[in-house]
Amino acid sequence: MSVSLQAEPIDIAAEYAVLVGEAPGAAVATFTGYVRDHAGENPVGVLELEHYPEMALTVLQSLGRQAAERFELINWRMVHRFGILPVSETIVWVGAVADHRGEAISACEFMMDTLKTDAPFWKREQGPEGARWVASRAQDGERRARWEQGGGT
Amino acid sequence: MAITIKLFASLREALGEGEFQLELGALPPGEVVDGAIKVEAIKAVLSARGTHWSEALNQPNVVHALNLKVVYLDALVADGDELALFPPMTGG
Repeated sequence: MSVSLQAEPIDIAAEYAVLVGEAPGAAVATFTGYVRDHAGENPVGVLELEHYPEMALTVLQSLGRQAAERFELINWRMVHRFGILPVSETIVWVGAVADHRGEAISACEFMMDTLKTDAPFWKREQGPEGARWVASRAQDGERRARWEQGGGT
Repeated sequence: MAITIKLFASLREALGEGEFQLELGALPPGEVVDGAIKVEAIKAVLSARGTHWSEALNQPNVVHALNLKVVYLDALVADGDELALFPPMTGG
Protein backbone atom coordinates (compact mmCIF):
# COMPACT_ATOMS: atom_id res chain seq x y z
CA MET A 1 0.00 0.00 0.00
CA SER A 2 2.53 2.51 -1.14
CA VAL A 3 3.62 5.01 -3.76
CA SER A 4 7.01 5.68 -5.35
CA LEU A 5 8.04 8.63 -7.49
CA GLN A 6 11.32 7.93 -9.19
CA ALA A 7 13.64 8.98 -12.02
CA GLU A 8 14.99 5.49 -12.66
CA PRO A 9 13.22 2.81 -14.78
CA ILE A 10 10.61 0.70 -13.01
CA ASP A 11 11.77 -2.82 -12.09
CA ILE A 12 8.48 -4.56 -12.81
CA ALA A 13 9.53 -7.99 -11.54
CA ALA A 14 10.69 -6.51 -8.24
CA GLU A 15 7.55 -4.40 -7.91
CA TYR A 16 5.35 -7.42 -8.58
CA ALA A 17 7.14 -9.45 -5.94
CA VAL A 18 6.68 -6.69 -3.36
CA LEU A 19 3.02 -6.24 -4.31
CA VAL A 20 2.16 -9.92 -3.99
CA GLY A 21 4.36 -10.55 -0.96
CA GLU A 22 3.87 -13.78 0.91
CA ALA A 23 0.08 -13.80 0.80
CA PRO A 24 -0.94 -13.30 -2.82
CA GLY A 25 -4.70 -13.34 -2.29
CA ALA A 26 -6.72 -14.74 -5.14
CA ALA A 27 -6.41 -12.07 -7.81
CA VAL A 28 -3.53 -9.82 -8.88
CA ALA A 29 -3.83 -7.23 -11.66
CA THR A 30 -1.21 -4.77 -12.87
CA PHE A 31 -0.95 -2.09 -15.54
CA THR A 32 2.25 -0.75 -17.11
CA GLY A 33 2.44 2.40 -19.27
CA TYR A 34 5.36 2.91 -21.68
CA VAL A 35 6.65 5.86 -23.70
CA ARG A 36 5.15 5.75 -27.21
CA ASP A 37 7.31 6.43 -30.27
CA HIS A 38 4.66 8.65 -31.80
CA ALA A 39 2.01 11.24 -30.95
CA GLY A 40 -0.60 11.05 -33.68
CA GLU A 41 1.34 11.54 -36.91
CA ASN A 42 4.44 12.93 -35.20
CA PRO A 43 7.41 10.82 -34.16
CA VAL A 44 8.53 11.17 -30.54
CA GLY A 45 12.14 10.62 -29.51
CA VAL A 46 12.09 11.46 -25.82
CA LEU A 47 9.42 12.24 -23.27
CA GLU A 48 10.04 14.74 -20.47
CA LEU A 49 7.90 14.36 -17.38
CA GLU A 50 7.67 17.35 -15.07
CA HIS A 51 5.99 16.90 -11.71
CA TYR A 52 5.05 18.69 -8.51
CA PRO A 53 6.69 16.26 -6.10
CA GLU A 54 4.90 16.96 -2.81
CA MET A 55 1.44 17.13 -4.38
CA ALA A 56 2.03 14.14 -6.68
CA LEU A 57 2.89 12.02 -3.65
CA THR A 58 -0.14 13.07 -1.62
CA VAL A 59 -2.53 12.70 -4.57
CA LEU A 60 -1.30 9.22 -5.48
CA GLN A 61 -1.45 8.09 -1.85
CA SER A 62 -5.01 9.37 -1.63
CA LEU A 63 -6.04 7.63 -4.87
CA GLY A 64 -4.49 4.38 -3.68
CA ARG A 65 -6.38 4.59 -0.40
CA GLN A 66 -9.62 5.33 -2.27
CA ALA A 67 -9.02 2.31 -4.53
CA ALA A 68 -8.32 0.11 -1.50
CA GLU A 69 -11.57 1.12 0.16
CA ARG A 70 -13.70 1.00 -2.96
CA PHE A 71 -12.46 -2.38 -4.21
CA GLU A 72 -11.59 -3.99 -0.87
CA LEU A 73 -7.97 -4.47 -1.86
CA ILE A 74 -5.56 -6.64 0.05
CA ASN A 75 -2.65 -4.61 -1.31
CA TRP A 76 -1.89 -1.92 -3.89
CA ARG A 77 1.12 -0.09 -5.25
CA MET A 78 1.65 2.86 -7.62
CA VAL A 79 4.98 3.83 -9.20
CA HIS A 80 5.34 6.91 -11.42
CA ARG A 81 8.49 8.20 -13.09
CA PHE A 82 9.65 11.74 -13.75
CA GLY A 83 12.51 13.28 -15.74
CA ILE A 84 13.77 12.36 -19.19
CA LEU A 85 12.24 9.12 -20.52
CA PRO A 86 13.38 7.54 -23.82
CA VAL A 87 10.90 5.76 -26.10
CA SER A 88 9.81 2.29 -24.92
CA GLU A 89 10.74 2.91 -21.29
CA THR A 90 8.24 2.57 -18.47
CA ILE A 91 6.32 5.65 -17.30
CA VAL A 92 3.90 4.24 -14.77
CA TRP A 93 3.08 0.97 -13.06
CA VAL A 94 0.11 0.19 -10.82
CA GLY A 95 -0.85 -3.07 -9.16
CA ALA A 96 -3.76 -4.31 -7.07
CA VAL A 97 -4.37 -7.49 -5.06
CA ALA A 98 -7.93 -8.52 -4.22
CA ASP A 99 -10.01 -11.57 -3.54
CA HIS A 100 -11.57 -11.51 -7.00
CA ARG A 101 -10.43 -10.51 -10.49
CA GLY A 102 -13.14 -7.89 -11.01
CA GLU A 103 -11.99 -5.83 -8.05
CA ALA A 104 -8.30 -6.17 -8.91
CA ILE A 105 -8.79 -5.17 -12.56
CA SER A 106 -11.20 -2.35 -11.73
CA ALA A 107 -8.82 -1.01 -9.09
CA CYS A 108 -6.01 -0.74 -11.66
CA GLU A 109 -8.36 1.03 -14.05
CA PHE A 110 -9.54 3.38 -11.30
CA MET A 111 -5.98 4.22 -10.26
CA MET A 112 -4.94 4.93 -13.86
CA ASP A 113 -8.06 6.91 -14.81
CA THR A 114 -7.83 9.08 -11.72
CA LEU A 115 -4.07 9.65 -11.69
CA LYS A 116 -4.21 10.82 -15.34
CA THR A 117 -6.37 13.81 -14.43
CA ASP A 118 -5.63 14.34 -10.72
CA ALA A 119 -1.90 13.79 -10.21
CA PRO A 120 0.36 16.76 -11.07
CA PHE A 121 2.54 15.40 -13.87
CA TRP A 122 3.00 17.06 -17.25
CA LYS A 123 4.35 15.42 -20.39
CA ARG A 124 6.49 17.22 -22.93
CA GLU A 125 7.29 15.36 -26.13
CA GLN A 126 10.52 15.94 -28.01
CA GLY A 127 10.65 15.01 -31.68
CA PRO A 128 12.42 16.08 -34.85
CA GLU A 129 10.23 19.18 -35.06
CA GLY A 130 10.99 20.34 -31.53
CA ALA A 131 9.31 19.94 -28.18
CA ARG A 132 5.68 20.48 -27.23
CA TRP A 133 3.63 20.13 -24.07
CA VAL A 134 1.05 17.36 -24.31
CA ALA A 135 -2.52 18.65 -24.09
CA SER A 136 -5.02 16.95 -21.81
CA ARG A 137 -7.56 14.84 -23.68
CA ALA A 138 -11.32 15.07 -23.28
CA GLN A 139 -11.63 11.29 -23.12
CA ASP A 140 -9.36 11.24 -20.06
CA GLY A 141 -11.83 13.52 -18.31
CA GLU A 142 -14.70 11.32 -19.43
CA ARG A 143 -13.02 8.19 -18.12
CA ARG A 144 -12.37 9.99 -14.83
CA ALA A 145 -16.02 11.09 -14.60
CA ARG A 146 -17.28 7.50 -14.81
CA TRP A 147 -15.89 6.80 -11.36
CA GLU A 148 -17.71 9.80 -9.87
CA GLN A 149 -21.00 8.36 -11.05
CA GLY A 150 -20.27 5.13 -9.26
CA GLY A 151 -19.74 3.37 -12.57
CA GLY A 152 -16.70 1.91 -14.24
CA THR A 153 -17.17 -1.59 -12.94
CA MET B 1 6.21 34.90 6.24
CA ALA B 2 4.75 35.18 2.76
CA ILE B 3 2.71 33.25 0.23
CA THR B 4 4.75 30.87 -1.92
CA ILE B 5 3.70 30.78 -5.56
CA LYS B 6 4.72 27.81 -7.70
CA LEU B 7 4.29 27.53 -11.46
CA PHE B 8 4.62 24.33 -13.46
CA ALA B 9 4.95 23.07 -17.03
CA SER B 10 3.81 25.48 -19.77
CA LEU B 11 3.04 28.23 -17.23
CA ARG B 12 6.51 28.00 -15.70
CA GLU B 13 8.03 28.03 -19.17
CA ALA B 14 5.93 30.97 -20.43
CA LEU B 15 6.61 33.10 -17.36
CA GLY B 16 10.22 32.14 -16.78
CA GLU B 17 9.75 31.51 -13.06
CA GLY B 18 9.03 28.35 -11.14
CA GLU B 19 8.74 29.62 -7.59
CA PHE B 20 8.64 32.98 -5.83
CA GLN B 21 7.24 34.65 -2.74
CA LEU B 22 4.45 37.20 -2.47
CA GLU B 23 4.41 39.35 0.66
CA LEU B 24 0.88 39.70 1.95
CA GLY B 25 1.71 43.29 2.94
CA ALA B 26 2.51 44.12 -0.68
CA LEU B 27 -0.92 43.01 -1.94
CA PRO B 28 -3.84 45.44 -2.40
CA PRO B 29 -5.15 46.11 1.15
CA GLY B 30 -8.77 45.98 0.00
CA GLU B 31 -8.29 42.38 -1.15
CA VAL B 32 -6.79 41.14 2.11
CA VAL B 33 -9.49 40.32 4.65
CA ASP B 34 -8.57 38.90 8.05
CA GLY B 35 -5.09 38.07 6.79
CA ALA B 36 -6.26 36.12 3.76
CA ILE B 37 -6.74 36.83 0.07
CA LYS B 38 -8.73 34.94 -2.58
CA VAL B 39 -6.95 32.96 -5.29
CA GLU B 40 -8.63 35.11 -7.92
CA ALA B 41 -7.21 38.29 -6.34
CA ILE B 42 -3.71 36.81 -6.39
CA LYS B 43 -4.19 35.97 -10.06
CA ALA B 44 -5.28 39.56 -10.70
CA VAL B 45 -2.19 40.91 -8.94
CA LEU B 46 0.09 38.63 -10.96
CA SER B 47 -1.78 39.40 -14.20
CA ALA B 48 -0.95 43.07 -13.70
CA ARG B 49 2.74 42.20 -14.18
CA GLY B 50 2.27 42.29 -17.95
CA THR B 51 0.51 40.88 -20.97
CA HIS B 52 2.29 37.54 -20.94
CA TRP B 53 1.38 37.02 -17.28
CA SER B 54 -2.21 37.99 -17.94
CA GLU B 55 -2.51 35.72 -20.96
CA ALA B 56 -0.83 32.74 -19.32
CA LEU B 57 -2.73 32.90 -16.02
CA ASN B 58 -6.15 33.58 -17.48
CA GLN B 59 -6.33 30.64 -19.83
CA PRO B 60 -9.65 28.93 -19.11
CA ASN B 61 -8.20 25.66 -17.87
CA VAL B 62 -5.54 26.82 -15.39
CA VAL B 63 -5.60 24.64 -12.25
CA HIS B 64 -5.06 26.18 -8.77
CA ALA B 65 -3.72 24.05 -5.94
CA LEU B 66 -3.58 25.46 -2.42
CA ASN B 67 -1.33 23.55 -0.03
CA LEU B 68 -1.32 20.56 -2.42
CA LYS B 69 -5.10 20.44 -2.99
CA VAL B 70 -7.00 21.67 -6.06
CA VAL B 71 -9.25 24.61 -5.15
CA TYR B 72 -11.64 27.06 -6.79
CA LEU B 73 -10.91 30.74 -7.40
CA ASP B 74 -12.69 31.80 -4.22
CA ALA B 75 -10.39 29.80 -1.92
CA LEU B 76 -8.64 31.92 0.71
CA VAL B 77 -4.85 32.06 0.81
CA ALA B 78 -3.03 33.12 3.99
CA ASP B 79 0.52 33.79 5.09
CA GLY B 80 2.66 30.66 4.89
CA ASP B 81 0.42 28.99 2.29
CA GLU B 82 1.65 27.55 -0.98
CA LEU B 83 -0.38 28.29 -4.12
CA ALA B 84 0.51 26.41 -7.30
CA LEU B 85 -0.78 27.31 -10.74
CA PHE B 86 -0.49 24.89 -13.65
CA PRO B 87 -2.14 23.56 -16.82
CA PRO B 88 -4.32 20.41 -16.79
CA MET B 89 -2.36 17.36 -15.73
CA THR B 90 -1.14 14.85 -18.30
CA GLY B 91 0.64 12.08 -16.41
CA GLY B 92 0.17 8.35 -16.58
